[in-house]
Amino acid sequence: MPAVTRPTVQFGVRVPRERAGAPVIRRERRAYYWRTAAIGVCCTLVAVATRGYGSWWLSKIILLLELAADLGCFWVARRKIAAVKNADGWFAGLRQTVVADTSWRTDPPRFPVRWLVPALAVLAATAAIGALRYPGLPAHIVNGSGHRVPKAAVSILIVAGQLYFTAVYSGLMLIVYRSRPDVDAADPAASMLRYRRFLAALTRALLTLVTLIDTSLLLVALPDWQVYRLSGIGRALPVLPFAAGVLLLAAVAARAGQGGSRLNGNVRGLARAAGTDRDDDRFWKAGLLYVNRDDPALVVGARFGVGWALNFGKPVAWLFIAGFVAWWAALAVLGAAAGI
Amino acid sequence: MLLSIEPDGPVPIYQQIRDRIVEAIARGRQPAGSALPPIRQLAVDLGVNFHTVNKGYDLLRQEGLLRLGRKSGAVVRRDAGSGPPDPAWARDWTGRLRTLLAEAAAQGMPAIGIVGECEAAMADFAFPAAAEAWQGSGSPP
Repeated sequence: MPAVTRPTVQFGVRVPRERAGAPVIRRERRAYYWRTAAIGVCCTLVAVATRGYGSWWLSKIILLLELAADLGCFWVARRKIAAVKNADGWFAGLRQTVVADTSWRTDPPRFPVRWLVPALAVLAATAAIGALRYPGLPAHIVNGSGHRVPKAAVSILIVAGQLYFTAVYSGLMLIVYRSRPDVDAADPAASMLRYRRFLAALTRALLTLVTLIDTSLLLVALPDWQVYRLSGIGRALPVLPFAAGVLLLAAVAARAGQGGSRLNGNVRGLARAAGTDRDDDRFWKAGLLYVNRDDPALVVGARFGVGWALNFGKPVAWLFIAGFVAWWAALAVLGAAAGI
Repeated sequence: MLLSIEPDGPVPIYQQIRDRIVEAIARGRQPAGSALPPIRQLAVDLGVNFHTVNKGYDLLRQEGLLRLGRKSGAVVRRDAGSGPPDPAWARDWTGRLRTLLAEAAAQGMPAIGIVGECEAAMADFAFPAAAEAWQGSGSPP
């Protein structure tokens, strides 16, 4: 994760560009890699050793513990870098600026609508197959996990799931297209070009993932609709499109880096600025959550890893989270009521 | 156009926004008729309050450099090729220039240094070629 983050943001700490290679940063990055690798190996060994002994939730608890330990490693590195930064006054005397590119609004990037067509085609195919098979199905069918469930519940939930993923991911990317781009104050023109390429690449990868998720859901539905039967290792077939989509998205994110920071930005003739990014650490709680009431932006570039974060200083962000939780709660209740 | 501000600097943010846009017009990067971002979107991009951008745009509107419309948005109204400025504005500008020069003289800046600074700044901007475009006030206000 630190490798794909911007060089001017190290473990959630804003640093001037000329300090990105400071000894404390190099040391903490090395230590973070070693610590997280050790935690990963230990958790994998424990998960393998306890396989077959504990309940179904044991592996999930191990995974949660691993994530918590990784978060702890992040905070240790963040605290040490911030301590050196504050003690040595890294931003003292620097001209801290915020840069906006007006062409982002007057000549905005276009959302790649065509990349949404495959997902909509899979959705339409699922609805069509479901409509064709539905009349011939018994009132209750046995699904892949062996449960006897009403045919209406299975059929509706599959298409609703596809609609949900397609609408939510497309909607989120549309919001991102209207949000603030990540501009590097020291190199604004080149960083804007990189950001445009990053956004286009990541959106295409995400819409491909949506298509593959919809395909996975279709493959889950086909045995339930008695189109075919899967046995043995063939039962893993529905997972494959989803796994391929996640791998593709991860590869694109790793190649581009946060905001396109790993893309080639050596464009000739572009002016460099004399300023440096503003030290905005005070707005990032725990180095991960953005809370700034004075900032009208709802979505900003994520501080760690690749992607975007909500501005929790705006009430809309909390509504957003509430809506997300309510959707999954409603789905869980509906699923339980239908016996899935 | 790249619009750079210093949120923690001594100059108010609305004034910085106004100054950067004036400089962009003077450099020929925002010619007359070109669009500027809507107020709300520029506020999001700069991470400042909507009213701050509104105040900066309103200053430009009062100076006759910007036209603000509900449908057309913010559009640059004048540039170096738009003909001579309004005489009232020219008198006001001459007064401000005299004050600036007086400050430099009072601080002990040599005349050759002032001229050098002026020439360096002017080299950045696009001025109209026709000399008759400006008659000058000729006398202190």
